Amino acid sequence: MPRKKQSPKISSTHTLPDPRVVFVFALYFSTFAVIFRTPLPMTILLIIAVDYSIAIRVPFKKLWGRLKRLWQIVLAVSILQSVFVQSGETLIGIGGLPIVTLGGLLTGLTVLLRLALLITSASMLSVYPPRTLIQGMLQLGVPQEIAYMVSIGLRFIPQMGQALRDSIIALQLRGIEPRELKLIGRIRLYSYLLMPAVASTLQNARELSMSLEMRGFRAYNKRSSYRRLSLKTGDIFLLGAIGLFTIFTAIFAINPSIIPFVELEFWGWIFRKGD
Amino acid sequence: MRITLEDVVFAYQNGGFEVSVDALTLGFCTVVLGDNGSGKTTLGKLCAGILRPDKGAVYYDGADIAQWSLGKIGRSVGYLFQEPSRQLFAQTPLEEIAFPLEIRGESKKNAEKKARELLAEFELSDIADSNAYTLSRGEKQRLAIAAAMAVSPNFFILDEPTTGLDEPRKSILLSALNNLKTKGVGLLVITHDRGFARRLDAQTLTMGGGRVLA
Repeated sequence: MPRKKQSPKISSTHTLPDPRVVFVFALYFSTFAVIFRTPLPMTILLIIAVDYSIAIRVPFKKLWGRLKRLWQIVLAVSILQSVFVQSGETLIGIGGLPIVTLGGLLTGLTVLLRLALLITSASMLSVYPPRTLIQGMLQLGVPQEIAYMVSIGLRFIPQMGQALRDSIIALQLRGIEPRELKLIGRIRLYSYLLMPAVASTLQNARELSMSLEMRGFRAYNKRSSYRRLSLKTGDIFLLGAIGLFTIFTAIFAINPSIIPFVELEFWGWIFRKGD
Repeated sequence: MRITLEDVVFAYQNGGFEVSVDALTLGFCTVVLGDNGSGKTTLGKLCAGILRPDKGAVYYDGADIAQWSLGKIGRSVGYLFQEPSRQLFAQTPLEEIAFPLEIRGESKKNAEKKARELLAEFELSDIADSNAYTLSRGEKQRLAIAAAMAVSPNFFILDEPTTGLDEPRKSILLSALNNLKTKGVGLLVITHDRGFARRLDAQTLTMGGGRVLA
């Protein structure tokens, strides 16, 4: 008797879309995050991406805590871009020397929005259990080796972080407090610790792959799935919507002048109004 | 050195498993026995400051360690993890012992000399310069113990130190621990190995359900 098809659930009242739909959404946002080079369309995309993420209940609060350091790096990169890119009007200058220009500020903002979009797109996939994601990829036609590689790769990123934290704890328990070391000592220490963290993760991955093969992974060219995902009406509607969005966004990307706000002059006008 | 726990309560956020200790003083040498999941490792980690209690306090010779950094704790307390791979980070056994000593200010020559002595004590001289990732479980275990001993702790907490060791290596470990005892270093040994526990001649605690039963 055929098994009843299931949709992944996160609670008794909330059903997630098919993971393939979320893959397509994540692909849409991340692709245009790379294509666009001005802040306004990226801001609009980010708003839509965040709204969609909230709708599928991405645990932003939890992710924010985990990605705190990453956000600090993202912010630092954006500020550096703002300072080092010099074009357009000078907004902040010292003795005639431009420090922050309009072009630099917009570039920094663009980098910030681009990275925010990429992180938001990736976080959309965090609502699914790894097995559901693999099934989604398989049913999208991704070869099983690649689907498992992606899934295992995602699983090993936190493991690598954990291995690094363990090494630091082990060092602290030998009386070394990294925070008390001078910068040179700290750099030496972390460069020393990074290599084993990567090596132990690779070792774990190798053992896991051997274990999978011992249990018959890739024993046959084709594999069957106990569980199959099926697209529902809502999923098909969402896919249709994202198709239309993609066409519209692609036209806009090719000819941005159809919306006047993206022009640099508009932003210059905004800043001059504030003077 | 004495470690005292007073009204300590610690609960894991995910599973809700709770360890609770009313009053406990660990002195010269203590062995903790108990079934899997009885809270032995959690007790050890609370004593070493790796886990911080939700309630109550841990004292080292009367000083509350609540505000101490792990680095400060590590200057007086050594810890051997249940899984030795978790605490080995260098590429060779020699570096594993010498590098932290160097970072702590010892000259490279002294650090290396001390490392070679410890490696000899634990019969690891032959593999001093080998790739650390290729060591066996037992070799890793001995290296982790040697590395923790290198910084001369006043108190040493060992979580399942005999795992992966054969009888001759257990005897080496026993003699190293007895040597530490004679130097006045406090010991807390968490183990399932009742035979090893008997040979240690120590105060024995039994844990169950997150509490000290006897």
